[in-house]
Amino acid sequence: MTKKRVLIVDDESGFTRLLKLTLEKTGPYTVREENDGTQAWLVARDFMPDIVFLDVVMPKVDGGEVAQQIRSDPLLEHVPIIFLTAIVSKKEGGQEIGGFPFLGKPVSLDSIVKCIDEHLGPPSE
Amino acid sequence: MSLSSREKFRVLLIEDNPRDVALLREMIERTGRFRLWQVGASLRQGIEFLEQGVPDIVLLDLHLPDSRGLDTFTLAHDAAPELPIIVLSERDDEDYGVRAVHRGAQDYLVKGAFEFQVLLRAMRYAIERMATERALARERDLLQTLLENIPDRIYFKDCNSRFVRINRALTELLRLEKPEDAYGKSDADFYDPAHAASAREDEINVMATGEPLLGKVELETLTDGRRSWSLTTKMPLRDARGEIIGTCGISREITILKEMEDRLAAERNLLRSVIDNLPDSIFLKDCEGRYLLDNAAHRYSIGAKDQEDVLGRTVFDFLPDELAQRFHASAMAVIASGEPEINELEQTLTPERAARALLTTKVPWRDDDGQVLGVLCIARDITEQKEAAENLRQANYELARSREEIVVKMEELQEAHQELRSVQLQLIEAEKMKSIGRLAAGVAHEVKNPLAVLRMGLEYLRAQHSGDETAMSVAQEMWDAVDRADVVIRGLLDFSAPKQLELAPTSLNGIIEHTLKLVRCELKPGMRVQRELQRDLPPVRLDAPKISQVFINVLTNAMHAMPGGGMLTVRTYSKQLTGVGANIADARSESFRVGETLVVSEVEDTGHGIPEGKLAKIFEPFFTTKPTGKGTGLGLSVVKTIIDLHGGTIDVRNVPGAGARVTLTFRV
Repeated sequence: MTKKRVLIVDDESGFTRLLKLTLEKTGPYTVREENDGTQAWLVARDFMPDIVFLDVVMPKVDGGEVAQQIRSDPLLEHVPIIFLTAIVSKKEGGQEIGGFPFLGKPVSLDSIVKCIDEHLGPPSE
Repeated sequence: MSLSSREKFRVLLIEDNPRDVALLREMIERTGRFRLWQVGASLRQGIEFLEQGVPDIVLLDLHLPDSRGLDTFTLAHDAAPELPIIVLSERDDEDYGVRAVHRGAQDYLVKGAFEFQVLLRAMRYAIERMATERALARERDLLQTLLENIPDRIYFKDCNSRFVRINRALTELLRLEKPEDAYGKSDADFYDPAHAASAREDEINVMATGEPLLGKVELETLTDGRRSWSLTTKMPLRDARGEIIGTCGISREITILKEMEDRLAAERNLLRSVIDNLPDSIFLKDCEGRYLLDNAAHRYSIGAKDQEDVLGRTVFDFLPDELAQRFHASAMAVIASGEPEINELEQTLTPERAARALLTTKVPWRDDDGQVLGVLCIARDITEQKEAAENLRQANYELARSREEIVVKMEELQEAHQELRSVQLQLIEAEKMKSIGRLAAGVAHEVKNPLAVLRMGLEYLRAQHSGDETAMSVAQEMWDAVDRADVVIRGLLDFSAPKQLELAPTSLNGIIEHTLKLVRCELKPGMRVQRELQRDLPPVRLDAPKISQVFINVLTNAMHAMPGGGMLTVRTYSKQLTGVGANIADARSESFRVGETLVVSEVEDTGHGIPEGKLAKIFEPFFTTKPTGKGTGLGLSVVKTIIDLHGGTIDVRNVPGAGARVTLTFRV
């Protein structure tokens, strides 16, 4: 069984650690967390994720810019990118920011899993 | 020569003595010119005959049976006063005869002492004398009537100027009961000494020269103070031998005429004085243009000395030929047409050759038959009025212009004030919402991230302790608490969201066209608008009125930057964002993403541009590059706020070699 590779970029390390723990415990996922936005593209190049969850508001770099960087990389340009943002009033997901889907914080495990399934298909048993 | 009895004089003989009757009859018949008509034997009978018919002559015996002496004559004379009576007296009382003649008898004859020839002569003379007397009496009566009835005063004076005769008119003037009261008196008794002396002098002169004094007008003052004007003529009075023995005079009261004349003279003087004192020029010309009359103002205007200098001369004697010709032609035209010219404006020159403006009226002057004799002209110098009117007109014009300018300025001021208020309110509102939005975003970021950690932690704990019901219930309570906190933060975001925008898919081109119509009035001469609008521009979710406000501000700014005219270009196009360019970079979190379709609008002018040093400040409230009073400095800051609320961008920069370009970018 091939595990799905999930990259989480968010400066909130508590959140990334707990998401990684919970997600990897929940299903066949390999999660890589990155708390420095400026390193996100390099990490992605190294990790080659199937899907990226990307925080919008980070200290050194804007999530949008990180998304552009990843999108600009021919090796990564088809990787789905899902924004995570605190600054939305909608409860969760579905809508897009600048052409990208997003999930509103605080996000539930269910919606993360659902989102992964939507983009990558259900886990092949 | 024999005469018929009808042609013979009829004699009435009043005689009681038959012998005398017979004798006289015989003598009367012998005359051949007389015949004895009747014989009265008594005075009574004789008077009856007198009353019956009219004899030509009466022979009257003074001694009659019913009357004797002079009474006989008196009675008979009274019965027929116009008949010649010859008295017959006795030889011894010839004295009666003489006395009868004194009383009016024509003659007397002494009975028995006269011959036929004497009787004939006496009767013929008596008849002729009587006829002469009658004629004289008639003439005297006529003269008397004239003297008594003529209203002129007539008097006769002796050589000492004493009245010898005055008529009734003079008697009444002197207030005398009868004319005789004046006789022997002189003018000194009735008139004041001055007049008396003057009259005496005149009379002495008339008597000395024998020449009459004709028609002297004199003011006579009576001693009682009455005064009257008289027209007096005095002539020498001569006796039968032609010697001058006094004067006679006739004096006509002309006080009324004199007063009338004085009044006329006074009126004439008054009129003269009026026209001479009028500031208007007045003159009368005959049909050849010669002055007949003028006033002082006219003489002054043409530089003439006095009226003698003007009368009979023409305008050519006073004014330059060309000007004189014009005035002359104009006067002759009125004479020729007979139509007046009212209030014509003319130009003239003073004797010092200074230009003056005249308002003239020319009226034909006609005689009683309507024949035009000349032209009457009145000219008023209105140079000062014209100047004053011109100044007034100018002042009024200036006033009206100033007023208009003030009104325009007021309107501009009010508009600016209104705009300022509206912009201020928008700005305050927008700033408020922006602040709240920023605050909410900050709070959301700072709170929701910990909430995300907590929730993910709870997810982990749930997975770890799914069998432990107590742990699960604790986790559930924590889960609910995180939810509650999340709800609070979302509420805050909701509140600060730009909900005043009413977004709907809108054609940006439509808004631009609409706005261009609204700002049409700001277009100055020489200013052209070029539209480069992409036809199939995708609709954008916009609040149309607010975006209209944005374009009004941007377009107005562009026009104001080109007061001398120029080209205003409005451009729209859409593009797919393929890379991150500086032109759409924005410090805000909501920037555009690659792959997004953007709609861009550019507004370009060819004006003065914006100083580079000031570009950075243009979105700051109250910053403006316009002259003081022309801009509020709030337009672009509101524009920026509205564009921000739409999640769009605005970029302002100078175009090399031209003016400024404003680029607005919206996400489709």
